[in-house]
Amino acid sequence: MRIPDLNSLYDAGSRLLLESTVRVGVTGLRRAGKTVFVTALVDNLLKAGRLPFLDVMSSGRFQAARLRPQPDPDVPRFDFEGHLAVLTGPDPHWPEPTRGIGQMRVSLRYRPDSALKRAVQPVATLNLDLVDYPGEWLLDLPLLRQSFAEWSALTLELAARPPRDELSASWRGWLATIDPMASAEEETARRGAALYTDYLHACRRADTLLSLIQPGRFVEPGDMKDAPLLTFCPLPPPQFAGSRGRGSLWALMEERYEAYKTNVVRRFFSEHFAKLDRQIVLIDVLGALNAGPAGMADMKRALELSLEPFRHGSSGWLDWLLGTKIDRVLFAATKADHIAAHQHAQLRALLDRLVGDARNAIRFEGAQVETMAIAALKCTDSVVTEHEGRQLRCVRGVPVGRDRPTVLFPGEIPEDAEAFPPGRDRPYNFLAFRPPDDLGRDPRGLPHIRVDQALQFLLGDYLL
Amino acid sequence: MELELDRAAAVPAEEETALLTGSGDPAELLPAPAAPVRTTRRLGRWLFGALAALVVVALGFDTADLLNRAFATSVALGVLVALLAATAGIAAVAMLVNELLSLRRLRRIEELRAEAGRLEVEAPGGRADRFAGSLVALYADRRELAPALARVRDHVTDAHDEHEVVRLLDREVLAPLDRAAYQRVLLASRDTAVATALSPAALLDFAVVLWRNLKLVREIASLYGARPGYVGSLRLLRRMLANIAVAGVTESAHHVAVEALGGSLAAAISTRMGQGVINGLLTARVGLTAMHLCRPIAFGTDNRPSLNRIRKELLSVPKQVL
Repeated sequence: MRIPDLNSLYDAGSRLLLESTVRVGVTGLRRAGKTVFVTALVDNLLKAGRLPFLDVMSSGRFQAARLRPQPDPDVPRFDFEGHLAVLTGPDPHWPEPTRGIGQMRVSLRYRPDSALKRAVQPVATLNLDLVDYPGEWLLDLPLLRQSFAEWSALTLELAARPPRDELSASWRGWLATIDPMASAEEETARRGAALYTDYLHACRRADTLLSLIQPGRFVEPGDMKDAPLLTFCPLPPPQFAGSRGRGSLWALMEERYEAYKTNVVRRFFSEHFAKLDRQIVLIDVLGALNAGPAGMADMKRALELSLEPFRHGSSGWLDWLLGTKIDRVLFAATKADHIAAHQHAQLRALLDRLVGDARNAIRFEGAQVETMAIAALKCTDSVVTEHEGRQLRCVRGVPVGRDRPTVLFPGEIPEDAEAFPPGRDRPYNFLAFRPPDDLGRDPRGLPHIRVDQALQFLLGDYLL
Repeated sequence: MELELDRAAAVPAEEETALLTGSGDPAELLPAPAAPVRTTRRLGRWLFGALAALVVVALGFDTADLLNRAFATSVALGVLVALLAATAGIAAVAMLVNELLSLRRLRRIEELRAEAGRLEVEAPGGRADRFAGSLVALYADRRELAPALARVRDHVTDAHDEHEVVRLLDREVLAPLDRAAYQRVLLASRDTAVATALSPAALLDFAVVLWRNLKLVREIASLYGARPGYVGSLRLLRRMLANIAVAGVTESAHHVAVEALGGSLAAAISTRMGQGVINGLLTARVGLTAMHLCRPIAFGTDNRPSLNRIRKELLSVPKQVL
């Protein structure tokens, strides 16, 4: 850091001492809406027109927000402008699934509330760091706590149960023909890995929403395509304990598994997730409802597993020694604009039931937890229409794949505990909507549902 | 299930017209002033009446004492003082009646407050637009609130549920009114403090405190656009009478207090200042009670007004007066 004169010394010093930074982790399984959430959040902060429930804005203390250079220059930058152009351009559609890491930083300037703080610093700055990544990589994190034997056993058990049993038939058939105690052949390992990768791709493409797809890099390699690290697969445990000797297939696979954990997963975790201050977990509850009870149970399991590695707890003065803890977690049910507005309470109740165990675990650690039904981009309006003599509350928007607005009755989420009444396998069919035209015309920012309340929960006590 | 596009009426249109024009069936929530409901707390009323009579009697004794002293000095002075006391009495009664009449002209907002309370607590059911419409109807002719109402209209979407609409209205529309009302309370308590500190006679204290309290309540009520209900008015009246009683008593006991503290000039001044501060604080409490009662949406825990600033202001009154 070259410091040519006193001005830049002052700048560097003030940046170091007087600006606070908060790292918000946007967690979510694939297609939960992380990319759109980060885009909509940053756009609303930059334009500052649609955030009435953010205290710092409604009390008039907010000055402005700007994009700043990100803290880690070796990580690719989140393509905010590209995604915004895709959403607000002439042919609006949802962005492509994320293929790699993206990071960005937004600086917020505001006037502090308390007179003491104002005396020290008339204008305070808060740097908000956000990271976007493919949702599939999130499920790599539970591997950190599992040995190869444990993981193999769990995966094989899962693959033998419906609805995965038919998808994994060819891979399990091949597993039955090989012997883990035999000496390791590179060709065998590669064949196993290829069959297992095909099985994972089939899970991802399946009709029922299958969330638990491990390891994530097999289906979404990022920059590791065709790397030798990705050439392993779960193996059934060998019969004799002493036969896990050197040179066997089992030993080779185990070695590769451990190398994957060390070089890929641990690095991913320590670079991006170990230093988080706040966390928002985006959950596509409507997608889980569409998938039926099996899909919902799968997503619940995947969520609980993926939340375990995070360090939750209340932050204290020993944080600089022991590492920061995540002291506020927000569970957000996304795509709330796909249902009528009066159903948001039921959606939130359903979310509460879905994350109940995870929530208790996090509260036990000492962090604050909140649930909300949000929509990062509001694509529909609630309308009332008459049908067969009844008043129905519907949504009006442009469904994906069409070009004109339509009025749809999306279905009702029941109020009681039975989300899936017995007898019907897939009772829900919530359609997806695409972004409306001319979103970019409004200077106030992208329309949303409750993103401001989410921001208030996550950042409210930093912005005092 | 797909339905026809053109037969759909947007839900926000209802809410938006409610917010724009103040319609949305306000008649249910804003009744015209009606006869008050008789409560049956007879014991309380007995106590109340007796205390009021005692205060009047104490005041009467003090005035009689003053008249006696004036007549003892000279007949002319006695007649003058008698005339002045009579004029003061009649003027006080006239002002009282005036304030009460102008209070009556404002609307009773008990239904509105009850509805706001219900909306905060119960599960949403689509009643926010009616409440919003009633609130807008209440403030429709206030030009200084027009930008705040426009901002609320801007921000409320069809996706906000009742709690959120009520919170937004509370924050955007009522917060500036709260600040203005608090300012009035501050001014009124300062006036009362100075007036009771400087006034020489109990009757004058009585009149000033009564008048200033009533004026304060009327100002706050007209600021919020509504007057407190019957039960609320009773509470307010009780506080005001306590204030007046304390003013009268401290004034009458002024000599006793000065004697007790040593009889010096410093004692006299400090008892006067103390009297002023006490009366100022009691007036402030009356003002805050009026704010609680006249506000369409009840105060939450975070925006409740507190006496701290007023207390600090009152403790610096002696400096300003001297």
